Amino acid sequence: MTLQSFWRGLPRPLRIVITRLPLIVPQMFGVMLVTFLLVRLLPGDPTLLMLGNTATPESIAALREKLGLDRTVWEQFVAYVGNVLQGDLGVSLFTSNPVTVDLMERAPATLELITYAMILTVIVGVTLAVVSVVRKGGIVDNFSRIYGLAAGAIPDFWVGLLLIFFLFYIAGIVPAPFGRIDAFVTAPPAVTGFYTIDSLIAGDWAAFQSSAGRLLLPVLTLAIVNAGALMKMTKTTFEDIYRSDFIRHQRASGLPGRAIIRSALRNSLPPIITLVGFLFGFLLGAAVLVETIFAWGGLGQYAVQAVINSDYPALQGFVLVAAGFILIVYLIVDILYELADPRIKV
Amino acid sequence: MNPRDPKALLKVDKLTVSFGDNTVLDDVSFTLRRDEVLGIVGETGAGKSVLARALIDLLPEGGKIVSGDVALDGTSILSMNPKQKRELRGGQIALIGTNAKALLDPVEKVGTQVARVLRAHQGGSRGATWKAAVDLFAKVGIVDPERRAHAYPHELSGGMAQRVVIAMALIAHPQVVLADDATLGLDATIQVQVLDLLVRRCRELGLGAVIITHDLGVVANYCDRIAIMREGRIVELKPAGLFLKQPEEPYSGVLLDAARARPTPRGAADASAAKPKTLLQVDKLEKFFTVGGSNKVVRAVDGVSFSVGSGETLALVGESGSGKTTVGQCLVRLLDPGGGRVLFDGNDITTLPEREFRPIRRRIQMVFQEPYVALNPRWPVESLIGEPLALIPKTSGAARAKRVRELLDMVRLPARIADYYPHQLTAGEQKRVGIARALATSPDFVVFDEPTTALDIRVRAQIIDLVRDLQRDMGLSALFITHDLNSVRSLAHYVAVMRHGKIVEHGETETIFARPAEDYTKALLAAELPIEQSEAQRTRALDRHSVEPSLT
Repeated sequence: MTLQSFWRGLPRPLRIVITRLPLIVPQMFGVMLVTFLLVRLLPGDPTLLMLGNTATPESIAALREKLGLDRTVWEQFVAYVGNVLQGDLGVSLFTSNPVTVDLMERAPATLELITYAMILTVIVGVTLAVVSVVRKGGIVDNFSRIYGLAAGAIPDFWVGLLLIFFLFYIAGIVPAPFGRIDAFVTAPPAVTGFYTIDSLIAGDWAAFQSSAGRLLLPVLTLAIVNAGALMKMTKTTFEDIYRSDFIRHQRASGLPGRAIIRSALRNSLPPIITLVGFLFGFLLGAAVLVETIFAWGGLGQYAVQAVINSDYPALQGFVLVAAGFILIVYLIVDILYELADPRIKV
Repeated sequence: MNPRDPKALLKVDKLTVSFGDNTVLDDVSFTLRRDEVLGIVGETGAGKSVLARALIDLLPEGGKIVSGDVALDGTSILSMNPKQKRELRGGQIALIGTNAKALLDPVEKVGTQVARVLRAHQGGSRGATWKAAVDLFAKVGIVDPERRAHAYPHELSGGMAQRVVIAMALIAHPQVVLADDATLGLDATIQVQVLDLLVRRCRELGLGAVIITHDLGVVANYCDRIAIMREGRIVELKPAGLFLKQPEEPYSGVLLDAARARPTPRGAADASAAKPKTLLQVDKLEKFFTVGGSNKVVRAVDGVSFSVGSGETLALVGESGSGKTTVGQCLVRLLDPGGGRVLFDGNDITTLPEREFRPIRRRIQMVFQEPYVALNPRWPVESLIGEPLALIPKTSGAARAKRVRELLDMVRLPARIADYYPHQLTAGEQKRVGIARALATSPDFVVFDEPTTALDIRVRAQIIDLVRDLQRDMGLSALFITHDLNSVRSLAHYVAVMRHGKIVEHGETETIFARPAEDYTKALLAAELPIEQSEAQRTRALDRHSVEPSLT
């Protein structure tokens, strides 16, 4: 009883986080089980694949013992979980690097790209939606209609190529689409893995300029493609709410226009949060075409490579990281969702 | 500010509003003085709400003020610039709308919402405006205002939300308050509390108030003058006492008659020859709900027992949340009761498996509270009424069509309505279709859930007449779930008063109305607003007019 009243006394945001956070442990465990089984279920003997033509029954048996394949499935799973917890995801068959090292290098590249892309997507999508509802029939409204139609139809690689063609090739105002940072500039020491942030931490202005410049086009590409969907959905939600009784009543109460828009937007947040969370998780792998065009060296490219080369440890590592990332994104979505709408019971 | 200032506070002059080619307000003129409560009465579609919104120049999309003027203290509202208009709305003329819960921002604390209205008009810090809001909450009868101010709208009851909206209207010290059907959908006892409070605050502050409603009882009890609106025009405008005594317009007379309608009560006398056979017996019915996520139990129905004889009508009366609708839903097995028994014609229907209950379903039917919600919007009336006939095996298409026509006739609807869809019907027609649907299988017992709620005065009277005819012609037994005491008096043989899931008083209608035993029943009866103006009110109105006779 006292525990309960103590619980109710906690601020709502804290209660939400405390109830949500522990859930990630069993979820992560489930993900590990699935990624483990994923590889076990694949046909073929990994030892044969690894040894190739030089396989002899003795070498196979030796490798099986080395890899622990002679033990039971559960023993293997326990060993796998143990390795994962120590950060050991195996060695990539293709790059011969430990998968962890590969991922540590590539995951921040993709994360930096899609984080900035999502921020720009939200700014562009929500602003367009709000302005086109508030100033109905205005220029922005008409533009948003055309854009909404086009954004769903134009593929991201094409947008990327157009931007490169016009802004780099013709106008020459943006840096070349080759990787995250200029070849002559040394990357800043890794702290967060985000070049823009790391270079600021290191006080390396040249690296910041270069990495920010390189980000410009791919971020723009992803934002242009994805802001359309977000804009359409925000517009529908916001429009309904902007016409609802309580907004009309706020107008009748003489609240200024800005306060009314803020209030309507605050009420439109839940679906926006959901869609942004979904896009975020989706882009982790789906940005692969844009990564390829801009030679980004991100996760998506790594995953595609792993699939093509039957590089199972790499693939397993990617799935694990991607699933963990999506879990975290959805956790944040859930928390924000409950914060945005007090009607949801904690 | 002199409260006896003879100059009109709000002057509406030949106001005409149209939506496209459709004239909604036609040449409306009236004045409102300080310290006066004006009642505007009209049925749905009379243009009342449009009038309220036109007064703050905030018409719904498509509406346009074609001609005429609205002046506040001699200043024309229509010639104001947008900034002045914003300051006028809520600052000088405040609007209180219907369904308060929908008028509040669902994701903001109510205290903040009231405070930001004050801040929009008079500035001030967050802390100061919050404190002003909490102080006002106490004055509009919100218990524990400090804590309530932190609540979100969904945590408040309808009556509490309405008080918040009233606080929102009063916080910036407006000169005129417009209450547009402000108490629609509230329980009678809450309605009286809210109106008492609103009118008292307006009188204390010397405000001008316009109460817009379709309920003549409200205006008769609270207003100094009454205006009757019909089809966008004000057809009659008179001091309240005078209007109630001698309305001039025939339409006003019709409205008053419909509201007064107290058809001869159906005494138990005509059935006294032989005690009718008991058709339905409810024995210690229980239904508890657990509140999602917690282990709190709501005892919605808590040991309710009653019986209804063949040809008898029992009214189950209570306020919202008393569990009366839950009882009705348990009877037709829309909800499975948690305990107790329901005997229908000798069979215990609580434990019957669904398959065996199905044949009984055609004998026990329900008329739902909100007909528009209960009718499939994609079906025409013919299919809607014909659907329950599927419960009767071997009904041919032709027989079905014939039966639908009979039923339409029975509920006094023209045959052409068979092809209409629900959205093309008026509220009264929807109710009738709902009733026809319930009667389709010639049931022995019908549960009417709030059949007269939220209907216009005349439509309500018509529905009451219809139900009376059905009782007489078909010998129908019925359970009548309502909080409209007026209709109970006209329709039911017996009354059971419910509160917090229990029946607190049970007896013959006449006895209960004449000599209520329980305090709660007395409170319910006292909350009725009869259109006969109460003595005190009338004296006060006369006083006021004798003081300023030149103004009538």
